[in-house]
Amino acid sequence: MILMILFHWFFVGLTAPFLIGVIARVKALVSGKVGPSLFQPYFDLIKLFSKQCVYSHGVTWVFRISPAVTLAAMLIVCLLVPFGSLKAPVQFSGDILLIVAVLSLSRFFMIAAALDTGFSLEGLGASREAFFACLSEVALFMCLIALTLLARRMSLSGMLGADSPLSWNLLGPALLMVVASLFIVMLAENCRIPVDDPDTHLELTMIHEVMLLEHSGVDLAYMYYAAIIKFFIFGAILVPIILPVQTIFPFINTLIFAGGMIGLAALVGLVESSMARIRLNRVRNLLLIAFALAFFGLIVTLWRGAL
Amino acid sequence: MTTWIDAGCILIVFFALIILATSRIVGMIRIFVLQSCVLSLMPLFLHAEAVSARDVMLSLGTVSLKAALVPFVLFWAIRRISMRTEVKPLIGVGASIVCGALLIAGAFWVSLALRIPGRPVTDLGLPCALATVLLGFMIMVTRTRAVTQVIGYLVIENGIFLFAVSLFDAMPTLIEMGILLDIFVAVFIMAIVLNNINEEFEHDPGGESRAKMGETF
Repeated sequence: MILMILFHWFFVGLTAPFLIGVIARVKALVSGKVGPSLFQPYFDLIKLFSKQCVYSHGVTWVFRISPAVTLAAMLIVCLLVPFGSLKAPVQFSGDILLIVAVLSLSRFFMIAAALDTGFSLEGLGASREAFFACLSEVALFMCLIALTLLARRMSLSGMLGADSPLSWNLLGPALLMVVASLFIVMLAENCRIPVDDPDTHLELTMIHEVMLLEHSGVDLAYMYYAAIIKFFIFGAILVPIILPVQTIFPFINTLIFAGGMIGLAALVGLVESSMARIRLNRVRNLLLIAFALAFFGLIVTLWRGAL
Repeated sequence: MTTWIDAGCILIVFFALIILATSRIVGMIRIFVLQSCVLSLMPLFLHAEAVSARDVMLSLGTVSLKAALVPFVLFWAIRRISMRTEVKPLIGVGASIVCGALLIAGAFWVSLALRIPGRPVTDLGLPCALATVLLGFMIMVTRTRAVTQVIGYLVIENGIFLFAVSLFDAMPTLIEMGILLDIFVAVFIMAIVLNNINEEFEHDPGGESRAKMGETF
């Protein structure tokens, strides 16, 4: 058990930054540049981990523990998500609720830390983050309810696992809407471009990044790592739904999963290079559309079940 | 094949919802074109095992009228009177999307009680057609500009077309063609009318300052 958990964490910690490297590389290639190395996120993390933290005078313990809580929350969520043929170490009926709850816990501490600094721009970012999180959480819940009904399982491993692969032929249209909705939620939750620009340095328009302005050194590395792992988690939920291929060879399953994750990262990179970020008051509409999609998928699922 | 039919039905409803969520008239017309393209494929999908010349005719007729001529007339009308392109909604875009989602749920709920004689090819045809009609009504009722009301009318028409195509096998070609022509004439007349009204149907002096529902960002 302990070994499984440690191996799960080892797997995530080692492979998650690579996806961010893939996104950066795709964005660079599309705009005609060579771009940074695929392993740049690793170098960034190593650099940050070897630095010291600087705290301003006014901050309390809330600010100090928030990076640790955020990263710990992501690691807890990791344990509930299967990665390809790597089974989730912890799984029980209803664990989807725990996943959403722990994700909000990490967000709560991020927002609390941002407010703790007393820096007005961080407050601005915190308020935006809270507002968009409310909307994306509703959409996420709708998706999870629809998936629960489609797969007839209450645990995430059951939905995505080998024993009941969701099939496109049988559930096509409803599943398509859930996937589209989850993709929008993923972009919003991970602060990717149509919602938020991870590379921007204009405080007035930032959402997630502005909350990290006061963090430094190891703390910043924790936050950065947590964001990377969050992207990996959402990808790991989305990829098995898009590619419900299961063979009897664990090695091939893992290859399919890895290919799917890299493909998803490349897709996110393409979306980021082909779109501009939308205006802040339109983000709400985008998230409401994600909600409507998931809701529609839920209705179609119920409709199919009722007949 | 059923998967494709279902996906088509759902896409049509989804595009209606997106039209409701769009805040530019040009964008609304473009999405209407997409919706009509999907709609024009439906006769081919529904009779995939034996596509007759009639299905092909119907499909081509729909594409050429709804995805080419009607948008052309609408764009021409917009350019002719050089109107501003913002939609003026009575209720905000966010509230519209939520209402739209509820309308879709309502359409599915109502069609549980509707028993249509005969065996439909897909069980999604009826609720999706109803949902499209309701969303079209919503667009007509809550968007105040003349052009947007025309678009709402066209979306309703698409819903009725989907209803007819997916439920009734034996509709005479002449009637179908007649319906298509009717819409075209209706849009044409509305375009001419638009040229005279220029801006909008109603003149509500207090309407400008009133706070809009759901637009409190």
